[in-house]
Amino acid sequence: MARGRGIGDRGKTLKQMLEDNRRLLRESGRYAGITKPHILKDDPIKAELFHSRIMSSLIAGRETCKQVSGSPYVREVAELCMGLYTPEGDAVVQSTGIQVHVRLMGDNVTWMIENNYEEDVGIQDGDLFLSNDPVIAGVHAADNYDILPIFWKGELVAWVCTVIMEMDIGAVSPGCMPCTAVERAGDGLKFDCEKIGSNDKIRRDFEVRIEMGLDLPDLFLLDRKGAVAANIRVREDIKEIIREFGLGYFKKATRELIEEERLNQIARIKQRTIPGRYRDIIPFEIYMSTIPASWLPSRKDMIRLIPMQMDILPEGRLVIDFDGIGEWGWHAYNPTTKALWGGLSIAVVQTLSYDGRANLGSLLPCDIKTPPVDSLFNPSQIKKLATGNPWPSMIDVFSLWCGMLGTSFYMRGFREETFNYVSGSGWQLAGYDQFGNKRPMLAGGPGTFGAGATGVCDGVDTGGWLATPETDVGNWEVWELFMPEMYMSRMLSPYSVGYGRYRSGISMGTMDMLHRLTLGITSGAIGAAHDRIIPNIGLFGGYPGGKRNSFLVRYRNFQDLVNNRLPLVHEVGHPKEFLSYPHGEIMYFDYMPPCMEVFDKDVYVVDNSSAGGLGDPIEREPALQKTDLDNGLTNEEISRNMYCIAVHYDEKAKEWSVDDGETRKLRAAKRKERLSRGVPVEQYWRQARQLILDKKLDPLLQEAYRSSMKLSQGFTRDYKDFWGLPDDFAF
Amino acid sequence: MSYSKQDLKDLYEGKLPWPRIKEIMSRPKDDDRFEKYVEILQERMPWKEKILLPIGEHLFIVEKGKERIVKCDCGHEFGDYRRNWKLSALIFARDTREKLEEVYPGIKCPWPEFCEVREFYCPGCAALLKVESVPVGYPIIFDFLPDLDAFYSDWLGKPLPHKKEFRDMSQEVTGEWRPKPG
Repeated sequence: MARGRGIGDRGKTLKQMLEDNRRLLRESGRYAGITKPHILKDDPIKAELFHSRIMSSLIAGRETCKQVSGSPYVREVAELCMGLYTPEGDAVVQSTGIQVHVRLMGDNVTWMIENNYEEDVGIQDGDLFLSNDPVIAGVHAADNYDILPIFWKGELVAWVCTVIMEMDIGAVSPGCMPCTAVERAGDGLKFDCEKIGSNDKIRRDFEVRIEMGLDLPDLFLLDRKGAVAANIRVREDIKEIIREFGLGYFKKATRELIEEERLNQIARIKQRTIPGRYRDIIPFEIYMSTIPASWLPSRKDMIRLIPMQMDILPEGRLVIDFDGIGEWGWHAYNPTTKALWGGLSIAVVQTLSYDGRANLGSLLPCDIKTPPVDSLFNPSQIKKLATGNPWPSMIDVFSLWCGMLGTSFYMRGFREETFNYVSGSGWQLAGYDQFGNKRPMLAGGPGTFGAGATGVCDGVDTGGWLATPETDVGNWEVWELFMPEMYMSRMLSPYSVGYGRYRSGISMGTMDMLHRLTLGITSGAIGAAHDRIIPNIGLFGGYPGGKRNSFLVRYRNFQDLVNNRLPLVHEVGHPKEFLSYPHGEIMYFDYMPPCMEVFDKDVYVVDNSSAGGLGDPIEREPALQKTDLDNGLTNEEISRNMYCIAVHYDEKAKEWSVDDGETRKLRAAKRKERLSRGVPVEQYWRQARQLILDKKLDPLLQEAYRSSMKLSQGFTRDYKDFWGLPDDFAF
Repeated sequence: MSYSKQDLKDLYEGKLPWPRIKEIMSRPKDDDRFEKYVEILQERMPWKEKILLPIGEHLFIVEKGKERIVKCDCGHEFGDYRRNWKLSALIFARDTREKLEEVYPGIKCPWPEFCEVREFYCPGCAALLKVESVPVGYPIIFDFLPDLDAFYSDWLGKPLPHKKEFRDMSQEVTGEWRPKPG
């Protein structure tokens, strides 16, 4: 057959291939119209070899990148991932690493195809493309996608992509996830699927742009070189695989891998969950009325409701609906609809598709209904808005989504898979480092939150950071070399726990002192910590972890403290006592810390909390509590107040003992107290309804309800129905 | 792939060490898990109604005559499973700093102006069935409404008798609570 003018299969253009592929999926319900997959099944050993060859190439590519790069995000935290994509941009195999980008890397490819890159920009062997714009596909601009086409005898047969999170993208200070960005320009440099090189070489004029545009051009360019080297390595491996397995096999097998995973995902859903309707609510809070801002309308406090419904359908599909979500705002926290897929990818890969076969097929049985236009998750003028830090509004959504799925696993009997997680706070900094360089700084190590309890044991301590499953939070000493900070302590906090029959994991707080800083400004980072409303993340009687906080400690006279050997701040300790530290001023941020100046010897404090406990705390097995006590992970106060377990410390034996008789009495008294405190829901309903009718809710909450009702008739109807409100009621 | 009932009992009773739990998590899932799970739970119950679906640590959807109701392991009944069982529970709302600080002392305490932590108790045995942390004024959440007939018929291949319409009937409860006109 004569080749057409396109670079794709049998002379087709990539656009034709994309349209064909979508049509086949639409018409048959099966990926690429594969109704009878057989290539992989005909010779399973060959198929396994084929998959493992691609996977090992991607993992080796990722390691190559780590060796070439000099950035701590790559070398220490390994916040990068690689993937192989079909010519249409569909994920086939992912390396280990951060799994947010399974679909997003390929969405950039698809966007290039839809926007006629084949003709208008040109796609040739050795072309290097770079993208980091969440409006096209991505979560935040810090994530940079390096994309390389793979050609075989003149035909584009695949793409390889590497994603790396960058510390400096030229964003408004401080940091690479700028919460101070209230206009699009504040997000930093954007690369919109830009061709940055050809013949495997990065263009000099691109390098010049980076050198002139960033404070840390060397790290950024080293990461590009690492990514390009990794992509080239994988490309050459793929050519070798094609040589060995044949092009026909490669084309069919890569597509069957996607269809096979789609079928497997449906099978997993049917094997592990229960069909039905699941509901939850995630509040998003932002307090910006007093912050300095270039765009004055952004100076506003607001709460937005994010109701979430997940339907598991009898055919084995998961559908997520955010109907009832409130409006967007002039802030950095507006996720694009593509970003939602990033959140879902990471959640799906770690709850269902964790066997190393995750690809587009893992996501095909999932659907995110398009959120209402002009909602927080779908602003119509998204191109004009900052999108620099969408995690604060999005991360708890997928924390709770994991809880929904965990509920389903529990009901199906897979109690060991029950799981949820939270995110937390952190600090980012801009200023002069200890070597006199002005630059943004963001340590990669706050991911130390306790995971939610499972249905068969306590949650994993400090193990609840879903964003990157492989995070080891880096070597702290490396961050000390890289930033003007000294780490004072990292302490497990007994009060961070979500209590329950099984408790959540314990979170670790951090304290680091600015050291050898001559000039700096700071703000919060990540930002899911600014919650005056704690996430609804306790399961079956377990409590959510408590409030997440950030503090800044400023000593009155640091040198005097040292000379007089007085205690420096090194742990939060009891949550009722921390604020009374006598030797300095403690600035308490129960919201995203705004942009402000910081000084040498100031101390950043991150007070994390954990995800949810599971089950009634007073049914906790006392032996578990004794182990926690002996390990120094909890205390007598928590044992008595939360678990109704009476304990005593034996000084001689140096261990704790449980008083079973007293424990029984405490638990009986607690049950009695519950029956006397608890009221029928009807009584509660009448009181709460009156509060609403009298509009005695906080004005910010009233505005939140008003915002949701403005965008959704369904939410308005449900709300009025539940509380029995008159038709003309409005906040 | 299958586990013995004793293996599963040990798993559910927290008797297995973490390495063994991790091993079970990493292995392929067992297809007969649900049937064995329900058998194990049914043996523990002091009552005879057939468990159709466990929906919590203490709560079960059970078959009672031609009806399907939510029942606590203590025997207390919450009514039709399509009505949010929480509406038939006892509630204690932590809506002041004092009440919230009993659980979340000092800096761990959410703001009572914005956040309400609701505890739902079984009126029969006082078990804490669910803790719900929501913005003040948010409707009580119906966490989960199962499509029981689809589950049994389409997924397990064992259709249930007395098919029920898959719909949320909670409004029938709150509708009764509305002040009557006049």
